[in-house]
Amino acid sequence: MNLVADLLSLEYFFPLIAVGLAGFILLVIGFFHNSGRLYAVITFAVLLAALISIIFLAPSVVLGGILIYNPFNAYFAAILIISSMFVAFPALKNITARWDVFYSLLLFVTLGMIVASFTMNLVVMFVAFEAVSLGTYVMAGFHKTKRALEASAKYFFTGAVSTAFIILGLSYYFQATRTFDLNAVTTGAHTPLLIALAFLVIGFGFKLAIFPMHQWAIDTYDGSENSVSALLSTGGKIVAFMIMLKLFVLGFPSMGDQVFIFFTLLAIFTMTYGNLSALSETKLKRLLAYSSVAQAGYLILVFSAVGYGQYNHDPAAYIQTIVAAGMLYSLVYIFMKGGAFLSMNAIKKEEPLIEDVAGMSKQSPILALSLSILLLALAGIPLTGGFTGKAFLFLSLIQVKLWWVAVIAILNSAVSVFYYLRVISYMYRREPSDREPFFTGRSVIAPVAVAAIITVAIGVYWTVFYLVLPYAAYLLGG
Amino acid sequence: MILQWLILLSPLLAAPVAFAAGRWKRGLSGIIASLSIAISLAISGITYFGVVSGITYYERFTWFYNLGYGIYIDHLAVAMVLMVTFVSLMIHLFAMYYMGKDPNRHVYFAETALFTAGMIGLVISSNLLEFFMFWELVGLCSYLLIGFWFFKPNATAAAKKAFIVTRIGDLLFLIGLVVLYQGLTASTVVATSQGPLNIEFLITHAGSVLNALGRTRLFFVSLMLLGGAIGKSSQFPLHVWIPDAMEGPTTVSALIHAATMVTAGIYLVARVYPLFVASGPDMLYILAILGSFTALFAGTLGIVMNDIKRILAYSTISQLGYMLAALGFYGVYGSGVIGLSVYQLVVHAFFKALLFMSAGAILIALMDLRDVRKMGGLWRRMPLTVTLLFIGSITLTAVPFTAGFFSKDAIISASWSFYQSGGTYVYGLPWVFLEIGSLMTVLYTFRMFFLVALGKPRSHLAEHAKDPSLVALLPLAALAVLSLIFGIFQGSFYDFVNGSALVLKSVPISIEIIPLVFLVAGVFLTYFIFGTGLWQKVNFSAVPGYRTLKNKYYLDRLFTNLIAERGILPAAGAFGRFEDSYNSGNERAGRGVLSFGSYLRKLQSGIIENYFLVIVISISLIFIIIDLMGGF
Repeated sequence: MNLVADLLSLEYFFPLIAVGLAGFILLVIGFFHNSGRLYAVITFAVLLAALISIIFLAPSVVLGGILIYNPFNAYFAAILIISSMFVAFPALKNITARWDVFYSLLLFVTLGMIVASFTMNLVVMFVAFEAVSLGTYVMAGFHKTKRALEASAKYFFTGAVSTAFIILGLSYYFQATRTFDLNAVTTGAHTPLLIALAFLVIGFGFKLAIFPMHQWAIDTYDGSENSVSALLSTGGKIVAFMIMLKLFVLGFPSMGDQVFIFFTLLAIFTMTYGNLSALSETKLKRLLAYSSVAQAGYLILVFSAVGYGQYNHDPAAYIQTIVAAGMLYSLVYIFMKGGAFLSMNAIKKEEPLIEDVAGMSKQSPILALSLSILLLALAGIPLTGGFTGKAFLFLSLIQVKLWWVAVIAILNSAVSVFYYLRVISYMYRREPSDREPFFTGRSVIAPVAVAAIITVAIGVYWTVFYLVLPYAAYLLGG
Repeated sequence: MILQWLILLSPLLAAPVAFAAGRWKRGLSGIIASLSIAISLAISGITYFGVVSGITYYERFTWFYNLGYGIYIDHLAVAMVLMVTFVSLMIHLFAMYYMGKDPNRHVYFAETALFTAGMIGLVISSNLLEFFMFWELVGLCSYLLIGFWFFKPNATAAAKKAFIVTRIGDLLFLIGLVVLYQGLTASTVVATSQGPLNIEFLITHAGSVLNALGRTRLFFVSLMLLGGAIGKSSQFPLHVWIPDAMEGPTTVSALIHAATMVTAGIYLVARVYPLFVASGPDMLYILAILGSFTALFAGTLGIVMNDIKRILAYSTISQLGYMLAALGFYGVYGSGVIGLSVYQLVVHAFFKALLFMSAGAILIALMDLRDVRKMGGLWRRMPLTVTLLFIGSITLTAVPFTAGFFSKDAIISASWSFYQSGGTYVYGLPWVFLEIGSLMTVLYTFRMFFLVALGKPRSHLAEHAKDPSLVALLPLAALAVLSLIFGIFQGSFYDFVNGSALVLKSVPISIEIIPLVFLVAGVFLTYFIFGTGLWQKVNFSAVPGYRTLKNKYYLDRLFTNLIAERGILPAAGAFGRFEDSYNSGNERAGRGVLSFGSYLRKLQSGIIENYFLVIVISISLIFIIIDLMGGF
């Protein structure tokens, strides 16, 4: 009867039901109505409602522990919903038919993200994660052009392999720990846990696009529509990051050193690979894709710090700082990366090269300024949120005495400035080849400008970190 | 207190507004700038009455850690700020005529408003670091305004020279600040809440500063601060930039290089005077001897210059020397010498601004012909302007009952008392220098005046010179009146700055009379040579020492040819070569990284089977690494 009572406390299901139901309703409306705008408005409104309701939900445990509402989970759910909301309107620019399907897919994907945020159970997490994956496979190839289909196929194949890795990893994990509930993990046999660790890193790392599981991402981000790339590189990545955060902070308490070695190697390779490859890249979207790989490298530094901290039995406050740094970075990341990908909507050319942003400052100073801010944020220049996020990330590395890793990461940031500035210099210093190479409608500029404003706001009010800090305690406190 | 902040904020905000409005309508910029400074002047007046009634306007906020910012307006600051706003307003009003046809005058007025804000900020700042920032701001404005006519190569060169030379002083100032800050933070005498660089703290607790730093270090700090003052106030040997700075508009010379910015160095010494006193009598003697020597030295150079503005520039250096020297006579009046110095400063601001602006009016009439040898006979053609120039000249030469007489004689008398109190001949040197310096003042001033005013016009332009309109001359007239009558405030000014009544020491009448004798002798001598046309028949280059003077004691040549071209340029070249090789190394590294990156990109073949291969190989490698590190 407990289950029934839980079901009756509908307030906790409102976000899930609303988002899921709206997805179906959109499909139904699709029979009568054929205007993209309507779907975008409905999607946006539903997501907004879900976001608000999540903010106001009191912490609670529902469905016998399958869904856990606490500020940490709600924080990530909110970020993921925002990342979906962020592409809701700009997608109108890319998607030219079958809006009902696209937007219902967007809602289902978001539903998967929300469920993944609120659960600490590995099986539920896996199912939600797959929901996200399946939805995005379709979205990546939505237009059935050759490029999009290729992108989608690569994504799907690697995704399928990653699913296999996850399932195998989970079975090893269960064998070692005899539980799927991350809050109940104590310890387990060493070897199966190590195998589980490796398989799970590979499986979830696919989505996060960390080296060496990153190669699909370059092709897929490049080939799919701008707004889909934006979603894949923001929401799609952060959901994997959040799952990994739960898994590797809580799930392997006795294996700090292995987690540390594994992730430090991966992070260094990922950052270096992403940044160095981006240096000589000439296509703009591929450049952003490489930069997104590099950013994933910064993100997983969190795990190497956590592992090292656990290995050295550092105080829980240290781990909390690291987790909070990762949380803040994911918040900044969705705006700077999402905004950067969405700004590609402004370029009229297919497959834009870096040269194609030439003259943007003349035709639309606001767009050029906003994009510059986002790129500077990605490079980690002070007064932008990118700097705030990186600063706290690197500081938390230094706090657990990983000086050398922090130095490598900072060197990487310095290298990355080169290719970001190259784009900016093209925007401001070169003359355009055509007379009006850019779309400068409000629908193009607004999301980029909003992202830039938020990025700067986080950069100026860097104390937002101390607002996030207490949330991280909920992950560690169970 | 908000009102007092407005003194600073009004011109500071006016600068961008004047620029923006000026872009739209050129004429507006001057009006806006003048208006903002008039507001500052009015509030300064209100503040003055507040200070008279015993209030010290002091407000301080923490900037970061133990460094604060804020305003500190005491007797000294309010006297200064009144002078700055008043003179700046007069010069702005005249500039509306003088710059009236310049196409970029909105830039000019924005910059002068910004400059005035910087100068006011410097005067009323409550923290030495804040002081330093405004100090740099006025330096920047000076650079911009000297080079205002950027199409003249001379002007840009002069702007650069001014910037670089004052930079030497600024560097010394900064070093002094760092040593002071470090010493005070390391010791326990200063609570963090007080702030180690707080001016109020420094001047009221000079004793504890001395305890914290020790005599030697404090001496060093004072020396470095003095170095900053020398650079800004263009004292020997960093005086070389001012004459060149005359390439800027004449109103700029009047505002920055005569009345206000160059006095910032003197003000710095006066502001933290207790530190100089605490550094010991040697420090004070350095002030006295350096100031008096500059007064004499620059005066001798003024005699041989032919450019009317350069004559005035050397005169400025010389007069600033009197102010600095006055600060060295602590032994005579105690801290009262600040009053002596600042009184000379204020009076000098009045008459030098007057002189520069009347020179500016002449230059407009003469199409910027600045050679005094080509003028002549202007008193008849421009009676008003040259009368104003005459009033400025007699004030500068301290003709009795003009303001200059009261301000300068007090200093010269003090130098005699300084000699008496010191006893030895070494202490007599400042007196000797200042006395001869006053003779030099008479010589160069009346040489200039007679060449300009008397005789026959010696050029076509001079024949057709005309007075500017009466309205344009009104600000000059105001300054002229002040130059003539400000002497009556001598005693009350000293008392006001000192905070209590200051009794001037009497000196023997035989000493008192010397400047007057020099004055009369000087006027007759210059009239004999320059008033009558005799000078055209004399071969000056045969006069011993003339070449040395003409070459400015070879100091410019020493600085430019020897130090800069032989010393610094080769060193810079060596550094340049080092940097070139370093850069090319960097570039090579960069190219290496780039090509490495493009190799990495070859992994991205687009073939999905290869992707899996990369995964398998990489993960296996990682497993091997983990195994090697003892993972399994």
